[in-house]
Amino acid sequence: MCRMRADEATLARLMVMSQQGDKQAYASLLEACQRWLRGYYARRVAPAQLDDLVQETLIALHTKRASWDSARPFLPWLAAIARYRWVDHLRRLYRAGECELQAEIAGNDDEPAIAARITLERLFGVLPEAQARAIALVKIEGLSIAEASHATGQSESLVKVNIHRGLKKLAHMIEKA
Amino acid sequence: MVRNCDVLIAELAGGLEPVKPLRFAHGMAITLIAAAVSVAVVIALFGMRPDLQAGMVNPVHLIATGLFLGLAVAASVTVIVMSRPCVGSDHGGWRWAAAMAALLPAAGLIVGLAGGGDLVSQESFNHGLTCFAIGSSGSVLVLAILVWWLRKGAPTAPDRAGLVTGIAAGSFGIFAFSLHCPESDIVHIGVWHSAVVLSMGAVGRAVVPLLVRW
Repeated sequence: MCRMRADEATLARLMVMSQQGDKQAYASLLEACQRWLRGYYARRVAPAQLDDLVQETLIALHTKRASWDSARPFLPWLAAIARYRWVDHLRRLYRAGECELQAEIAGNDDEPAIAARITLERLFGVLPEAQARAIALVKIEGLSIAEASHATGQSESLVKVNIHRGLKKLAHMIEKA
Repeated sequence: MVRNCDVLIAELAGGLEPVKPLRFAHGMAITLIAAAVSVAVVIALFGMRPDLQAGMVNPVHLIATGLFLGLAVAASVTVIVMSRPCVGSDHGGWRWAAAMAALLPAAGLIVGLAGGGDLVSQESFNHGLTCFAIGSSGSVLVLAILVWWLRKGAPTAPDRAGLVTGIAAGSFGIFAFSLHCPESDIVHIGVWHSAVVLSMGAVGRAVVPLLVRW
């Protein structure tokens, strides 16, 4: 399969052909989208979750391919789908109690970890201090609720409430952005 | 998910079927047709207001009905736009129409509390409840069409899409019933007719996201 550059005009042309049922064009499009999605998610999810999320997004792209209109640009459409799947992925992680951001940013390469940390700190800037501190201590530094309670002077219930409210607010912000 | 990405791509490409892209004009057309059917059913079942039949208009009724129609169209446009994901799309235009229409309940409550209208009599309550019930029922077809359209599309903010869908449907529903309701009192319109829009917005916000998540 040829390795094409994922530029807007080429992707849009391939998508038009795909919507008309051209399987070869569609395979090329999905291949290009796969590479684009890997770059998009690389700094957003843990490496172990990358492949699953890329595949989920490709399936979403397939299922919702009729929602792209050739009168509109392709990459913003793909980016919106990718972001939606990413937010959904974060929600599932949070609900499953697996929101261990420490593990996600602690890859072998320091650069993604630093980038993630900068992004997090920027996001934390819009949260109330108590919520940002509770999330940072428990979800990033890895402290237990009791240790975070001791460190912040907040009760254990308040630490849990602050984490819950803070993460909910962050997810909402990401969805709105 | 354990399979390889290349295998997945081969499977998806192998099973590809042609699709018809969702067009904005198509979405708006079927929404407006659904609204027109709702209006026709309401008028066929209950008849048109006597003053409209006589070719006359009441200014308060005209403004109120126009505001509901404006809100209905603006919210529907937003829902159709929301069905097609695109980073950078603006989904906030309906808020201006909602702010204008919010003058109706505000004015109704002010006049009602100042004693300028009949807000609490049994007759007024029964009539209001009838408007509320039939206006809400008149919203169902547009609600169903917009939900169907959203399910065909890919709304990336299902909660907001649900709220705006409910508001669009409620506004069309009460617009349809306003063509029958003989009342031109701002208190009645501001309280009971606006209640249809608010309640359908709440229903949309609560129910529609469950139906359109993907």
